[in-house]
Amino acid sequence: MENINIEATERSPEIHFDFGSNTFALKGESYPEDVSTFFGPVIGALEEHLSGLNGASVTFTFDLIYFNSSTAKVLMGLFDTLDEAAENGNDVSIIWSYEEDDDNMEELGEEFGEDLEHAKFEMKAYAKK
Amino acid sequence: MLAKDMFELRGRLENEGIIFCYSGYVTEEILTGIGNSIRKKLELDNTDRNIGRRLFSIFVEQMQNVIRYSAEGLNTDDDQKDELRFGLLLVGADNDDFYVSCANKIRKHDVVRLTEQLEHIKGLDREDLMKLYKMTLKGETPVGSKGAGVGFIDIARQAKRGFDFHFMDLDDTHSFFCLKAHV
Repeated sequence: MENINIEATERSPEIHFDFGSNTFALKGESYPEDVSTFFGPVIGALEEHLSGLNGASVTFTFDLIYFNSSTAKVLMGLFDTLDEAAENGNDVSIIWSYEEDDDNMEELGEEFGEDLEHAKFEMKAYAKK
Repeated sequence: MLAKDMFELRGRLENEGIIFCYSGYVTEEILTGIGNSIRKKLELDNTDRNIGRRLFSIFVEQMQNVIRYSAEGLNTDDDQKDELRFGLLLVGADNDDFYVSCANKIRKHDVVRLTEQLEHIKGLDREDLMKLYKMTLKGETPVGSKGAGVGFIDIARQAKRGFDFHFMDLDDTHSFFCLKAHV
């Protein structure tokens, strides 16, 4: 599958999906006008790719500054998809990167990570940029 | 007299502690523009960064509610792409306590449902709010909802000092809905 590289806009995150190395990343702000239009195709591609994997090592990094509630729903779905890939015999690591003083991002990371049953989860706080 | 009228209006807003005031058609571009100015203003004032983040989140959810659900607008009948929705937004501070107020017309038949939803989340503590937030994120999108249906829950979660809401009957079919979130 062809890699996906989408530049960030004021309201949508940078997307890097490398299907060869199985490294995936979302970075920046996310409150697009229509989450389905923005995320639908890329997540569709990711799901298709993951469903064909077995015994692979997969890393997904979430490095988000802000996301709205519609995006939160998309992220929740992504966590489920990644957990499923782990259940199906892949080594899946999810990294939740957040600014160290961001209470909300920290809390959401903990809450989202708590529900994972198979994937590995790591919280990474970084110093104020 | 024009300058005097405008200056008086400005003075009234200032006295109320209002930092931003917008009344009119709300678009995604306006959301972005006002959002950027709010962030800039809070940054220049050295506002506590977590308060700033919560205020911004509430602002986005409130504005997207207007864009999606205000019952007053142009071309709003059959979900057209070029529709415009009308709403009113205030960002202000009572001393150092920030609030975000939003108001718009809604259909009268939605008042009961909204009241039930909002009363319910108003009564929840932080832990139960988070539970409901996650449950809703995982669940099906409610009928007639174009978003995740979690906007109000997110506002309640971010409004550490709570929120108030009111409805006022306008005519046979419409009510005026106002929600004030205390950051």
